[in-house]
Amino acid sequence: MRRAVALALALLAAAGPVLAAPDLSADGLLRDHLWREVRRAPVGRRPRVGLVLSAGSLRGVAHVGVIRVLENAGFPIDVVAGTSMGSVVGSFYAGGIPLERMWKIAINLRMDSGANLSVRSLIFLILFDRLLSSENAEKMIRLTLHGMTFDRLLKPFACVSMDIYTGEAIIFRDGDVATAVRASMNLPGIFQPLEYRHRFLVDGGVVDYIPVDAARLLGAQWTLASVTETDFTAARPKSVLDALEQVIDIRGAYLSREQRRQANFLIEPPVGGIGMFDSQRIPEALDKGVIAAAKRLPAAEESLILASIPLLAPGWSAESAGAAR
Amino acid sequence: MTTRPLAFSSALLFCTAAAGAAWWPFGPAYGKPLQTVRALSAQGRSADVLTALNPVFMQTLRSPDLRDAYLLRGEAFEALGRPDAALGEYQVGTGLFPKSVVLLTHEGSLLHHDGLDEHARELFKLALGYEPKNWRAHLGLAEIESRLGFLDRSAAHYESALEARPAQADAWRDYAGVLFDLREPTAAEYALHKSLDLAPNDAAAHVLLAFVLRAQDDYPGAFAQLDAAAALGGGTGVLRAKALWLLEAGRRNDAAAAATAILAVEPGDPVALWVRARLLLPSDPSGAAKILEPFSARADDAPFSARAAAVLRDAALQEAQKREKIRDANANAK
Repeated sequence: MRRAVALALALLAAAGPVLAAPDLSADGLLRDHLWREVRRAPVGRRPRVGLVLSAGSLRGVAHVGVIRVLENAGFPIDVVAGTSMGSVVGSFYAGGIPLERMWKIAINLRMDSGANLSVRSLIFLILFDRLLSSENAEKMIRLTLHGMTFDRLLKPFACVSMDIYTGEAIIFRDGDVATAVRASMNLPGIFQPLEYRHRFLVDGGVVDYIPVDAARLLGAQWTLASVTETDFTAARPKSVLDALEQVIDIRGAYLSREQRRQANFLIEPPVGGIGMFDSQRIPEALDKGVIAAAKRLPAAEESLILASIPLLAPGWSAESAGAAR
Repeated sequence: MTTRPLAFSSALLFCTAAAGAAWWPFGPAYGKPLQTVRALSAQGRSADVLTALNPVFMQTLRSPDLRDAYLLRGEAFEALGRPDAALGEYQVGTGLFPKSVVLLTHEGSLLHHDGLDEHARELFKLALGYEPKNWRAHLGLAEIESRLGFLDRSAAHYESALEARPAQADAWRDYAGVLFDLREPTAAEYALHKSLDLAPNDAAAHVLLAFVLRAQDDYPGAFAQLDAAAALGGGTGVLRAKALWLLEAGRRNDAAAAATAILAVEPGDPVALWVRARLLLPSDPSGAAKILEPFSARADDAPFSARAAAVLRDAALQEAQKREKIRDANANAK
């Protein structure tokens, strides 16, 4: 039995590199050394970093897992932009909501968290074409953020919705956060358009699935996009809701193919198989966000480091011999 | 008494005894059929173990001997360097004995070794369902959760494993690594001291302690730990870390000497060349660019150090050009 214990221990010890053990290779040490510089550098000696959170309905809770990994790693995030569920998560993050709380909110999300999806209201939707209201979503967001306006958020934040009458992407950067986020996640065909500032607003995912441009408007010079896209080829719609979901997913997928190229770095949690309204699989989406981000973290650090070296180099060139840090 | 009733009674008694033998809790004794095999296993005679536990013999075994036989076969295959065959034994074993914690954890360990962490995780969780304090399952889950990115879950599993087995030096070290990644350097330092108390000659623990101390800006402490690791055969990696950290600490002459020492054993080492280039950058950016030239590369799949060198080389050349323009402008002004 003792031999079995020793063997098992040896197996565990030999089970590949433990994530936490320092990497002493040339690449690992240089990355660690330069990452230390980048993390400590003010904007100006490194690019202004924008976190971009895509649309994706309930799949978008994976963004919380991504943010968790970035936070643990001390990844500098200067500005945040989001669409649809990305705007919900982004607003909470920009508002300084602790990660544990964001995780709990995500775990408890249900399809009806944003609206009254009682049988009566659904009957009205189907029989009388009366769209639902996303007022509950706005209340939930306002409660969580304590009624913050954009200027009170801890990080600059922008979210995107669409004017259903003109098809324009409307980027919110000021005013009431809860209303703006509600507009951004206002699913067309389910929720009534939100009339706000002379616009009739629905989910921004229809025109701006990955809002890199919104992040750049906030001054981002290097963007990391978390993209929760679906695999629409696997879906077989059976109901009106399924069909609407499929159409939105297809539109989002084609849109994101172009927009991906605009981001400097992508993290793509593999949540494509999770349905837009599949709240049972939220814990799985959260975990997939963590796993995807943890895998891509070293490459993300490398990408930001390489973008930072041209900004760090002038300072290095100005170092005098014998100067201590 | 007549013969027939006597024969009948004897037969009845015999049948009852035979049936009872199957039920009798004191025999055949568990473990006896495998006594010899266990002795072979303890002696490290893995090939003999497999010969002894042949299919014919396996068919004579009953639970729990059969369960232990699959375990012994799996361990023997592992010792012979055949993890795939071992995995097969454990999988058959867990199929027959789904509640066997020892088989579950062995299978989980092999899957983890093969990088199949999500499957291994499920097995370890299953084992904990039957035995909540099983330290091997906690240790396996600690490693897996760490590798997958769930640092807080990993830390919790390390704590459980160490509660059950507090004398595992490598577990304390790995736990410290997770705490360090969670940016809890004080707790990490404590865990590393526990590890080093148990295994003072663990070079990896000294290296990790060096990282922890450096994170707290304790460079003298960090260098002392790197030196200890080097004395224990820490390898070129330790020398590289020291060269870079001397640069960070502003000890430029010492950094230069450290880079020279690396290049003496590893000519062309990217870290050593990087340090040299960084040291030369303020006074001679063109010279720095020349140092970086040989190992610069821009391809996306080039090593990170090569890509970083390419970017710094470009920046150095730009700086050189800028200085030349200023020199020329000053010369013209005169």
